[in-house]
Amino acid sequence: MEPNRREIEVKAKLLGSNNMQADLNRAHFRENNCLAINLIGSPGAGKTALLEKTLPQLIVNLQVGVIEGDIFTSKDADRIAVHEVPVVQINTGGGCHLDSKMVSKVLPEFDCKSTDLMIIENVGNLVCPADFDLGEAFKVIVLSIVEGDDKPAKYPVIFRNAKAVVLNKMDLEAFTDVNMGNMKQDIRIINPDIHIFEVSCRNGNGLEAWTSWLSQEVTAYQEKENLAGTKL
Amino acid sequence: MHEMSLMGGVFELIEQTLSQHEVERVLQVKLRVGELTNAQPDALQMAFEAYSKDTICEGADLLVERVPVLGRCRDCHHEFNVETMFFLCPNCQNTGIEIIQGEELLLESLEVE
Repeated sequence: MEPNRREIEVKAKLLGSNNMQADLNRAHFRENNCLAINLIGSPGAGKTALLEKTLPQLIVNLQVGVIEGDIFTSKDADRIAVHEVPVVQINTGGGCHLDSKMVSKVLPEFDCKSTDLMIIENVGNLVCPADFDLGEAFKVIVLSIVEGDDKPAKYPVIFRNAKAVVLNKMDLEAFTDVNMGNMKQDIRIINPDIHIFEVSCRNGNGLEAWTSWLSQEVTAYQEKENLAGTKL
Repeated sequence: MHEMSLMGGVFELIEQTLSQHEVERVLQVKLRVGELTNAQPDALQMAFEAYSKDTICEGADLLVERVPVLGRCRDCHHEFNVETMFFLCPNCQNTGIEIIQGEELLLESLEVE
């Protein structure tokens, strides 16, 4: 090493400032008793379609808010707004993922106190969003089976970190070479605790199991919060 | 290409670090990147070049140390390298595996003069 050359030890997280804001977002959701989920999937997997098909059931008993992440357009937010659900669009302007600061900026636009469930639909991408905590309670993946049964093994990071995966476009199974057994086995080996839902947003099959699971998650979260509240 | 965002984080940390040291030039930036993250070394390199242009870091080497994934079985507590991203205990075939290494995204150190 040259005479003036010296080493400075840093050992700091690259995502430190994102994680810090994510923790603030999480605390905000907790204070407001609002379950926040981060919905992640490739472009075209059916994230928005899943919301369109299940919002009518969810809003019967729950106040739901939606944050729509998109690179440029407000096409997805427009589709959600039809369901008379509060929705705010975030345009990342080329960015391949949402981050915790983008989410915190739009939170004041919601009445979080009266919101039971906040669904954050991330930018269509199975890679980048996996590394960015938004402050959600958990992540949910939407994967359409036509993407191929090799996808879970190819994108293990996101499958490892999600609580549930919705396998969409099951109505197309007969028209593809997808091996559902292999796909589900790979998912379970990457993450044995993950909940798997097989649905078709097109014909509605399997959606009820997904919505009732999600509603139960909201109840469990809110009961936990009430217990925590009593303790305080 | 979220490596650009990650590199933004690197430069935030470099700026904070250098504000506490007298430094003429940064010669090397060392990152530790876990295999169980989606950060690609090549894309980090490209992002580093873009970010370092016209800064004290221009021309510095970016060293990306990949950290293998290490798991610990929740059942038999066996520790092992998770090589194929299949989280299966080689000792007892259990799938309940805790990750003890491989999720790092760290700015490890700077070499400066």
